[in-house]
Amino acid sequence: MTKTILAVDDSGSLRQMLSFSLKAAGYGVIEAVDGQDGLAKAKQQKVDLVLTDQNMPGMDGLSLIKALRAMQNYKNVPILMLTTESGDDMKAMGRAAGANGWLVKPFDPARLTEVVKKLIG
Amino acid sequence: MRPHESPTGELMNAQVVRLLSDVSVHGDQHLAEVERDLVQMDVLLDEAIKKLCASFMAIHQAVDRQQEALNGLLADGMSAPEQAARISALRAEIAEHVGAAVTGLQFQDMTSQLIGRMVQHLAGLRDVFGALDANGAVLPESGDEALLAMLGDISDRVGARCSELAGSVRSTVNQRHMNSGDIELF
Repeated sequence: MTKTILAVDDSGSLRQMLSFSLKAAGYGVIEAVDGQDGLAKAKQQKVDLVLTDQNMPGMDGLSLIKALRAMQNYKNVPILMLTTESGDDMKAMGRAAGANGWLVKPFDPARLTEVVKKLIG
Repeated sequence: MRPHESPTGELMNAQVVRLLSDVSVHGDQHLAEVERDLVQMDVLLDEAIKKLCASFMAIHQAVDRQQEALNGLLADGMSAPEQAARISALRAEIAEHVGAAVTGLQFQDMTSQLIGRMVQHLAGLRDVFGALDANGAVLPESGDEALLAMLGDISDRVGARCSELAGSVRSTVNQRHMNSGDIELF
């Protein structure tokens, strides 16, 4: 069965790129424009992995992770941050919020799909 | 005041304040133009990169279909082994270029973040000019102390606005190259 990934980013081109790369690797992709939209879509349909940006208008990535981790069916779903932020303090906050990994932009499609495959097969 | 006569302290203060007010009005106009152009640049960049992405993906899909056709020919034994090896090497080469292009095309995401920050800082600078102009409308009536107090008030307002801005402005982008970033699994 096709695994589904929720890609949350306020940049339309970045979502396009993520969608293209992940679909080419055989995954289904749901796109969300910010944390609030991501949360709404995660509630509508259970996804296998969440990939989220940090800096977004409205709800940011860390807040989205906290909200997802508070939901019973997202306690064990892998969540990856994909952001321009590379500071150790931000990474520590991501880890504390419940992220499973931190990817610094820009991403390389092959390396991204490798990580995703490692987490959800 | 008669010609060749120095202005009194009060008159001088009033002139300084008027000048500050003029500076603020002109500065504000220029900043508004820069802000408008930055926002427009962001819109155009976004539009251009979306079109580039769409074309790029269409090309990639066409190459994929071509590859499938070639695979079919290979499977039917219509190609020599060396040709098969060549096609396989080309497939790997195309995949490598596609990966590099997807990484490079992400520049718009970062430039957009930087433009967003610039617009926020410009708004902060406009607030500075706004504070100058607001104070310019109320001319101090006596001496240097009044002028100092007015400038102190402007400084306080600007300082307060800077603090507000520091809390709300988006993070900067420190990447110096469009190479893929680090990956860390927790």
